[in-house]
Amino acid sequence: MTERLSSSAELAHPAAAFKSVRSWLARYGMVVVLPILLGLGGVMSPAFLSADNFSNLLLQFAPLAIVAMGQSFVMIVRGLDLSVASMMATTAVISTSFSGTDRDIANIFAASFIVAVAVGLLNGFLVTKRQVSPFLATLATMILLQGFRFAYTQGAPSGNVPPLLRVLGSAKIGGIPYNSLVLLIVAVALAIVLHRSAFGRRIFIVGGSPVTGRLFGIRSDLVMVACYVISSCLAALAGLILSGYVGLVDNWVGQGYELDSIVACVVGRVSLKGGRGSILGALTGAAVLVVIANEVLLLGVPIQVQLIIKGAVIVIAAALYARREASSGYT
Amino acid sequence: MPRWLRNNASLLGVMLLIGTVYLVGAVVSDRFLSFGNVLNVFEQTTDLALVSIGQTLVVLSGGIDLSVGSLISLTSCLTSGLINGNPDRIIPVVAAVLALGTVVGLVNAGLVIALHVHPLIITLGMGAILQGVTLLYALGPVGRVPRGFNFLAYGRILGLPLGATIAVVLSILIALLLRYLPLGRQIYAVGDDANAARLVGLPRTRVLMLVYGCSGFCCAATGLYLAARFGVGQPYTGVNYTLASITPVVLGGTILSGGKGGVVGTLLAAFLISLFNNLLNFMDVSKHYQLVAQALIIIFAVSVYVERRREE
Repeated sequence: MTERLSSSAELAHPAAAFKSVRSWLARYGMVVVLPILLGLGGVMSPAFLSADNFSNLLLQFAPLAIVAMGQSFVMIVRGLDLSVASMMATTAVISTSFSGTDRDIANIFAASFIVAVAVGLLNGFLVTKRQVSPFLATLATMILLQGFRFAYTQGAPSGNVPPLLRVLGSAKIGGIPYNSLVLLIVAVALAIVLHRSAFGRRIFIVGGSPVTGRLFGIRSDLVMVACYVISSCLAALAGLILSGYVGLVDNWVGQGYELDSIVACVVGRVSLKGGRGSILGALTGAAVLVVIANEVLLLGVPIQVQLIIKGAVIVIAAALYARREASSGYT
Repeated sequence: MPRWLRNNASLLGVMLLIGTVYLVGAVVSDRFLSFGNVLNVFEQTTDLALVSIGQTLVVLSGGIDLSVGSLISLTSCLTSGLINGNPDRIIPVVAAVLALGTVVGLVNAGLVIALHVHPLIITLGMGAILQGVTLLYALGPVGRVPRGFNFLAYGRILGLPLGATIAVVLSILIALLLRYLPLGRQIYAVGDDANAARLVGLPRTRVLMLVYGCSGFCCAATGLYLAARFGVGQPYTGVNYTLASITPVVLGGTILSGGKGGVVGTLLAAFLISLFNNLLNFMDVSKHYQLVAQALIIIFAVSVYVERRREE
């Protein structure tokens, strides 16, 4: 549909051809940036392009990518989920709260997702029924979870991560980490939900304009609540994977993921204003962040410089997209 | 309801909550109501009050400043690192740190204006950059402040804690600015509807420069205060203030989307939070449950406010 429109625009105005290249770049720019970053990494350090390093990259990529995909659902409906990192740490604590053997793996997953659904419902309820701003609502649930977690562990969590979870979080099969396989399945499922299902179309309509959604007979509130629940559940899954990767538990597993996932989405062109975004975008954004972090590490640059580069990338990426929509205020 | 009451309902709500905490406190312990304890709580409010005052201005203008935590860490490290126990350097370093904070705020404003990017993203990026710079400067506690410097944190003037008094005076000044100066009124206009403000020709650039500059200045002041209180600057000392500074702003009745609220509510809300933590300490509630209680208060407060706003 869009392609046909742009080609007829090209026929009418020759200059529009240039414009359509630009709009293509705007949409898929980060997909182009990623190979450039990879090439750059190869030039700067030969170790970067080794198979070993790639499989390590994949290992670190999965948790962030999963959280970022959840974050993109919430951002598309004009929200923000600051509680994801707290959710991750909570499931990490849950994963060590049972016997630490594989017998309890089903219990761990059940308990984690019950908590996740409850948190998602609370976030969604506050945002829709109480009209609390998403920033504040999810900030409050973040602190709430953190408080319960600390109270439960008395500040010093202990226990073992079941071996099966360790396999899921850190083992590889033929160089491909198991967590990447999980990521692949989840990503395909989410892409179908968001881009190919009626529910996904509702998400975009509600995000574009909640009032229009209501006029179409869509129950905007329910769609929004569902997005918050999806985000919490994905954060729970990422938390379990990450606790398997870390191998031991502390109260801060996943710290920083709330901001990193937002950054990944912004880099992947999910709009903070809502109504626009894609699973591919969230994945690309997460990949860019992981690759940059890895390159900085391999270059032997002090670890602090990573933060500076990350900050600069956030601002530059957002600014590149904002140029295109300057007339409509912030992105 | 009289108009004044309706306009200041959130202020009244906070005062009511403060009164309730005092009532409960009086039952729990007779020491809670002692003058010494009141001053104590007042003193403990200083840091949160200082950051939140700047944050209030930014939120009023329709933005948000997520770089406050890193800026506080940076300024507190620079304070103790540059003074490094030498009393002669106190005045130039304090002046330089305050200037640096203001400049960082101005840079935030400049980026928001020039790049048309949401302040959330700009200040988030700035926060990461500043934290990186802080860690480049110091990976652990750095320098020390001379003996007299902790007067800023523990000193009393006419029996009143110095730092907290400065915070109160600062917020009164800002409250007056918001109410009586054109630029102050314009902050509300820009925050309420940026497009309308642009159409009537209000100086958005100047407004944003002012609010982010003020926020940066307040962060630097907080950094100075923390360096004085701990006697040393630490690279992660400000990390919790980024999100903590939002709570008093919202509790005090300032609306996150901008254009409504004020700085007095923020000050009272910051005091309420300290008071509440103080009460929980008196009741021997563990630090962990204090977090739970704090989150419940936020959820309760914002839900109630919102209900009221919808009725209007």
